[in-house]
Amino acid sequence: MNLLNFIWMITIPLIASPVVYLSGRLGTHEVVLQRRSYLVRGLALLAILLAWVPFVFSVRTFLTGGLLEFNIESIWLRVDGISLLVAAMVLVLGTMVILFSGPYMAGEVGEEKYYAMLLAMIGLMIGLACADDLFNLWVWFEGMAVSSYLLVAFYREQPASLEAGMKYLVQSAVGSVLVLLGVALVLANAGTLDMSGIHEAISRSEVNRWALLGAGALFVIGFGVKVAIVPLHTWLPDAHSQAPSGISAMLSGVVIEAGLIAMLRALSVLPGFSISWGILFMSFGALNILYGNLLALRQTMVKRLLAYSSLSHIGYILLGLGVAFYSGAELGAQGAFFHLFTHMLMKGLAFLAVGALIYGMFLQNDSHASLKVTDLAGAAQKYPLVALAFSIAVLALGGLPPLAGFMSKWQIFVAGFQVQNNWVTALMIFMALNSVLSLAYYAPLVNLMYRKSPSEQVLAGKPLPMAITLPLLLMMLAVIVLGFVPQLMNWVTAPAAQTFIAMFGR
Amino acid sequence: MKLTEINIILIGIVSLLGVGFYGLLITRNLIKVVMVLQILVKAVVLAFVFSGKVSGNLGLGQSIAATVIVADTIVAVVGLALAVQVRRRFGTLDAPEISTLRG
Amino acid sequence: MANILILLIIGFPWLGALIVWLIGDARPKTQHTLAVAFSLLSGISSLILLAFINSQPAIDLSLGTSFGNLTFTPDGLAVSLTVIATVVGSLAVLFSVDYMRGEAQLGRYYFMVLFFIGAMAGLVLSGNLLFTFFFWEITALCSYGLISFYNDDPKAVAGGIKALIITQVGGVGLLAGALISYANLGSFQISELLGRADTIPTAALSFIAFSFLIAAAAKSAQFPFHTWLPDAMEAPTPISALIHAATMVNAGIYLLARFYPAFESVPGWKTAVILVGVTSALITAFMALTATDLKRALAYSTVSQLGYMVYAIGAGGVLASQFHLFSHAVFKALLFLTAGSVIHAVGTRDMRRMGGLGAKMPFARNVFIIGALALAGIPIFNGFWSKELILEVGLEHSPMWAYALMLLGAGLTAFYTFRMTWMVFFGTPRETLHIHPIGLAMKISLAVLSIGTFTTWLLFGGLNGILSTSLPFHEIEAESTLEMIKAVSFAPATWFALLVVTLGLGLFFAFGRKFALSESPAWLSTLTESSFGFEPVNRFVVSLVSNGAEKLRATQTGQLNWNILAIVGALLVVLAALVWGGAL
Repeated sequence: MNLLNFIWMITIPLIASPVVYLSGRLGTHEVVLQRRSYLVRGLALLAILLAWVPFVFSVRTFLTGGLLEFNIESIWLRVDGISLLVAAMVLVLGTMVILFSGPYMAGEVGEEKYYAMLLAMIGLMIGLACADDLFNLWVWFEGMAVSSYLLVAFYREQPASLEAGMKYLVQSAVGSVLVLLGVALVLANAGTLDMSGIHEAISRSEVNRWALLGAGALFVIGFGVKVAIVPLHTWLPDAHSQAPSGISAMLSGVVIEAGLIAMLRALSVLPGFSISWGILFMSFGALNILYGNLLALRQTMVKRLLAYSSLSHIGYILLGLGVAFYSGAELGAQGAFFHLFTHMLMKGLAFLAVGALIYGMFLQNDSHASLKVTDLAGAAQKYPLVALAFSIAVLALGGLPPLAGFMSKWQIFVAGFQVQNNWVTALMIFMALNSVLSLAYYAPLVNLMYRKSPSEQVLAGKPLPMAITLPLLLMMLAVIVLGFVPQLMNWVTAPAAQTFIAMFGR
Repeated sequence: MKLTEINIILIGIVSLLGVGFYGLLITRNLIKVVMVLQILVKAVVLAFVFSGKVSGNLGLGQSIAATVIVADTIVAVVGLALAVQVRRRFGTLDAPEISTLRG
Repeated sequence: MANILILLIIGFPWLGALIVWLIGDARPKTQHTLAVAFSLLSGISSLILLAFINSQPAIDLSLGTSFGNLTFTPDGLAVSLTVIATVVGSLAVLFSVDYMRGEAQLGRYYFMVLFFIGAMAGLVLSGNLLFTFFFWEITALCSYGLISFYNDDPKAVAGGIKALIITQVGGVGLLAGALISYANLGSFQISELLGRADTIPTAALSFIAFSFLIAAAAKSAQFPFHTWLPDAMEAPTPISALIHAATMVNAGIYLLARFYPAFESVPGWKTAVILVGVTSALITAFMALTATDLKRALAYSTVSQLGYMVYAIGAGGVLASQFHLFSHAVFKALLFLTAGSVIHAVGTRDMRRMGGLGAKMPFARNVFIIGALALAGIPIFNGFWSKELILEVGLEHSPMWAYALMLLGAGLTAFYTFRMTWMVFFGTPRETLHIHPIGLAMKISLAVLSIGTFTTWLLFGGLNGILSTSLPFHEIEAESTLEMIKAVSFAPATWFALLVVTLGLGLFFAFGRKFALSESPAWLSTLTESSFGFEPVNRFVVSLVSNGAEKLRATQTGQLNWNILAIVGALLVVLAALVWGGAL
């Protein structure tokens, strides 16, 4: 029974999703409405907290070397280092977002749908990370995508969020068609979709290498739409900036990363191309970093700016993975996975902090306006904690010590320089210079918040409740602590990196 | 190339994909966009049947095809629902006209 | 014992930073008191550390792969700089009690000052390149935060971001060098790099050497990165004294001095260092000639003096450079703080509006003159001895042209220093400025520093002693103060230098007063205002990037069809690339 603990990690959120929805539909009396909102929030929070229990047990089993797998007929779910990493990320950010959303989403029409979809997305993402069969992987992926479409377009009264949702849906659907074509190609060549089965089939028989390469390209581009590889990223700035802030945090912190994990899993069935993937990942990584930074430089909307910065951070992660592909160095993968985690914390924190400001300055005043960069002026006067949290988040994103982002970037650098290849070294220096460039748009935000003359919006701002500030405080502490004690995350990044190396059979 | 069953399916897949991608590149009406997406999905469904056939695992191919149909119907439903909302808020279904987010 | 002291030196200011910040801005008195207390505690600990100098690491903690061992080594180089950082730091904090009285957001101010002091000590004490880099970046972060402390002033914000970005570019150099060394040696330990430099392939070693030179030049505002320091003068004056004169800008010199034994043999490296030093020293001396902003003039002279130290290292005089660094930290902090008290008193930084202030502020005048005499290199002040030592090393070990140019620089220094002093304190008042009295805390720190300016050169023997005994790779000869005095007094270099300095002074007394108040020649002011053409280069790069970024925004069309086209196009490109790559 102990072995199946991890199944609960997936099923608790998935079961809770309809329960939360239905409980939100109970009764229509005015009296019930107010309490119903608390019921919905409470249930959602309870569900995500409950999901932590099987997670902790799974970690214990995993670290003591226990096997965690489960199957129905030929559909296998298996927990390895990468699954654990994703589960940890999803649960951490999910808990914070659900806590944060309590006041943020209070009174919105369809609050219960929001939590139902969010919980479903959380469950599906953990499932995605455990899938051990190509088609199964796609099903989890598509499920996650559908729930995220609805969340992006949650403010259906807002034309812009509808537009963002629509674009996101169409482009993701095209991506998923490409993924399916890739799966079909693999099926045609291997006759099975079980990941280990494909490995055997491909290494046993004469296979068409070109078909496999084609499948690889389809996977890279298909999942790449979700990962927001430039130039497939076009949906991302719209979706991230128009979604409710909690969802922006989820999208940027875990959803696009889940897409990346899915891409890695899919690529792992095609043996013998590691060098090609490495070069491809590194090129896309460099492109993403530069493009994301340049576009973020001139943004006037805070959330859009953060969305573009996500592009560049995906670039760092791709670069780290590319190094690992290219040289087979475990360190590169570990750095990339560590950055995956720290980016979740930093970007999650940044989006939640922006959300807190939006909540205090706009939502409380019954406005759905977007937060402009200039609105930040003097925010520290009224919201010292939020301003500090946001400053720490952006400075960490810019890679300044003693914050978490510095340590994870450092790990990627170390791996890159150890390859001792001039091109890779040049790429690493390019990455470092870009990190400097990114400060050109992060730093002014900090300066603006600590001005003495506040903007009108700040003056009109309302105080923030505990449920909003608590997640900010916790994540801020995490970002600082990981900056001083980076080895705290080794227990999950090291197995994830080992899994990565095992997957690509070096 | 002889017109065997396999080749006919292959031609079907390729032409459906061609139509689908061409459609996506030129279609402006959001309802039509969702329909064109469905054409692409049909190509995929055919591709799975084809893969099942050539790999000698037709059962697997068919079951996947059925699942894909179900899953993508959900996407189509969500897409159409969004399109309906777009029509309500913007008063139009024309994609370029609703494009306000850029840069 | 040494390990506890090191933890205290870094821990006191960092703990103090947290406490002062958490107390909140509602209790400014407590904030001032605590800030002074914590910085003093750190200063005292570092003075005690002088007794525990050792070339072996005092702290050695393993952190696992990719981070290496966290080590702190209390050797002479590190401890002398720690003492400067913490002692000048406490004086600057003490000065701030008066200077920052009544300012808003004191918590943020003291947080960053104290955080900086701890980080600066960590930077020099660290025996692990990763942590050197870590502390290096923290000092950059604090410097940025403090330069742009007055966030409402767009000039302050721009100056802060400029400093941050330029020093970060330097940081990339340090990072790249450190990692190349790690890739070759498998260790981040500085002692490993120094001891096994000869096992690194030549190409890699010269890459490390030149990246470190870039890092040092950016941090110490040396040519071609000298443009950020003048703009950093928007910071509150105690910060200019502490960070931009006495400590952080020395980090570059420290880096060069620390790794000199490893890079000595790299072809062209020493010449490059000399070139950087000479160029910086000269062009900023010219810039100081025409500066009208008191703090900017001092900033130029800082860059110029740092140039002397860089030059000394290039000529092999690590000891001379450290000695000058020590003297410079003291007299430049004195000059800056005095300038701060003057600016605080009269409310302007423009020297053209001052004049004749000496009669109204005799204390400020007296201590400023002491600092100025040291800067100009007039005998018996600490600046004299150390500058002579540098020029002596230069005469013996550097090319003749470099020595001649540095000599010229010494004359210019004397000239602009007197021009500055005269414009502020002497002559007839050009404007009636309302004058606030100087506070007690200010006076105490100024007095301590001016005594230091008279006497720190007597510590030469001690400095030499700790450097020569605890740096196994640097081969510094032991020499006592008395021997140094003898050597300097009888060296021909000293007499050349004194001649040039006298010449500079003579020129000043002959033409200087007229020159100071008249419009300087158009070609000179154009040249100096554009930082000898480097300011336009900076602006060009900035506008190139931001215009490019603006243009690039057009690629985000927001049109669904174009977005799909991008997906299809990317697929085709990737397919083509993979097929091409697979066929190879």
